[in-house]
Amino acid sequence: MGIQLNEQWNNTMKNLTIMLSLVLSIFAGSALAKDTVLLDQTHAAKGVKCASCHGKEDRQAVPMLKCVQCHNTEKLAAKTADVKPVNPHNNRHFATETDCAKCHHVHQKSENLCVSCHPRFDLVTP
Amino acid sequence: MSKESKEIDQYTASVLQNGISRRTFLTRAAVGSSGLAFASLGMGSASAAPIQVGTEYGEIGGATLGFLPKPKPIADKDIATTQTFDVVVVGAGASGVPAALSARESGASVACLQKQAIPVSQGNTGSGIDLKNSDKSAIESLVSRLMADNAHRSHPGLLRQWAYNSGEAVNWVIDRVKQGGGQIVDQGTKPQHGIRGIADEGDRLNFVTSFCGPKPYTTGDAIRALAKTAEKAGVKFFFNTPAQQLIQDESGKVIGVIAQTRDGKYHKYLAKKGVILSSGDYQNNKAMCDFFIPELKNFERKQMDRTGDGFAMAYWAGGVIEPVGHTKMLHDFDAGPASMCDMPFLAVNRKGERFVNEKVEMSLMNNYLKDEQNAGHYSQVFDSDYMTQAKDWPGHLYSPEELKVYMPEEPGEKKGVYPSLTNTYSANTLEELAVKLECDPKTFVANVNRYNELCKKGKDEDFGKPASKMVPVLKPPFYGIHRRMRVSTICSGILVNENHQVLDADGKEIPGLFIVGNLGAGFYGGVDYPLTVFGLSLGRCYTFGYLAGKYVAKL
Repeated sequence: MGIQLNEQWNNTMKNLTIMLSLVLSIFAGSALAKDTVLLDQTHAAKGVKCASCHGKEDRQAVPMLKCVQCHNTEKLAAKTADVKPVNPHNNRHFATETDCAKCHHVHQKSENLCVSCHPRFDLVTP
Repeated sequence: MSKESKEIDQYTASVLQNGISRRTFLTRAAVGSSGLAFASLGMGSASAAPIQVGTEYGEIGGATLGFLPKPKPIADKDIATTQTFDVVVVGAGASGVPAALSARESGASVACLQKQAIPVSQGNTGSGIDLKNSDKSAIESLVSRLMADNAHRSHPGLLRQWAYNSGEAVNWVIDRVKQGGGQIVDQGTKPQHGIRGIADEGDRLNFVTSFCGPKPYTTGDAIRALAKTAEKAGVKFFFNTPAQQLIQDESGKVIGVIAQTRDGKYHKYLAKKGVILSSGDYQNNKAMCDFFIPELKNFERKQMDRTGDGFAMAYWAGGVIEPVGHTKMLHDFDAGPASMCDMPFLAVNRKGERFVNEKVEMSLMNNYLKDEQNAGHYSQVFDSDYMTQAKDWPGHLYSPEELKVYMPEEPGEKKGVYPSLTNTYSANTLEELAVKLECDPKTFVANVNRYNELCKKGKDEDFGKPASKMVPVLKPPFYGIHRRMRVSTICSGILVNENHQVLDADGKEIPGLFIVGNLGAGFYGGVDYPLTVFGLSLGRCYTFGYLAGKYVAKL
């Protein structure tokens, strides 16, 4: 039992090291703000387990369907209806059904996808 | 008419010889290994290519084309639902929605599958020829001009199909969009600045120019209104349902589509009469762009999710992709007035250097700005005398007051524009203007001074612009329109005949498979989409959707 736990712990640490080095290599040179809370922490704080999104066996990529099991896109769009300069959750490209992952990243910093084409859409993406 | 005995036209023969299909891959690969001349391609022969067992990707001469993944087998037990229609349309855009509605109006039962959650389209203007008020010689003269615009690489038969049917089709779209509550008007021939001089004197050449606007309203909104009309007429739309692969029977006939819903489930949509692919271009598919049009590398994309799904589907069904060197469309009608885009004011690149004879139209400017630094950016520069000095230039001038809606620095609500994309500035000094246009002030001022010198001389010794267009930049306030050429679309595609039916590598029709819109080949061919007829692109989409829908419904 103890050995098994140890192995699991070792594997977890190994995975963490790999992930951490990946994250570090992505952000190498850029100041990764300490106060930026990534969405994996937000989810974990709400009790969401890895397997809830990634599946129980082989770690799977997360399709938007997983997100919408908890996040109702139309309610979300209504909640951000007054965001200026534009409501990101009801846009001209995808209406309320933009793939969440286009802007919101879970294990790394989210991005403002709009701004690459619309220079004045200075939205902050959690 | 026997399909076999019909003579193959020049355009089709060329694409069959030079295009990319599973046949050409196999032939070229064989040629490559045996060292024989390429001319051994057995054109018109009936021999079908052997299918290589285990081939996962399309290949050309040994190169693996990973962007053409072979459809993976989907077992019947993995199909959640199966529905049968007369016609299945893949893609709810400016050609797909008209195709679906027109097929429905011709009596067919129709399904329209869409990858996104809503119908999607861009632009404002879609044009056709007003046949009743045009002379045939003028129409033919326009077809000839479009052939020249397209570097003589398009299929004249397809251009004529647009020319002689587009008036009817665009009027039909106008009416049906209005039925769906959309904003659309016929502006007639007035916006067609580019057709001057094409028809002989005394010959009539008139247009039905549909306009969906003003911005931020676009054809996207109008196509969504058209979809409402279509839905009311009985077209069944399936959103968030990207098509994955075509279903073919043993003979190769296309009999339906397998699509996947967001929950990961597969669904079969069987088509008794035919499948119409209208899934658009591939600008967001990097590997495809690098292969077919590598010069696009440094340009920003205007669209999202244009991954060229229809290309792989049609390729694996036996279709032929137009040869490498596809036609692109890069515009910016949002930074400043569209009607001033082709006015030959002084133009400078992103650094502030004059770089071209400004008579080059905006639609072609990207060719001078392909590098990483410029990446499609340039600025038109003029001084406060522009209203008099440019009054006879091609297009329509906006007064300084009217120009303000394009100026992000001007306060107040902006109507008729995309406020997030406007990019016009005025300044009292050249240095100040340079900063606003994001140019190096020193370089910018030196280039303006050099240009003013040449204007004074009346000879453009640097770029050869006619003296009549050498208008100096002297009197403040100075104006600049900073335009960004981004990719609107890529408009080369899969070989079709005049019924929009896909042809195989032998030039034979693939039963049950049709293509309209920018996924279809043969309508362009030049380095860029021409702006001779303003709204040609949407006009072609509407027209071919309208015609193909009717044709397939009556099979």
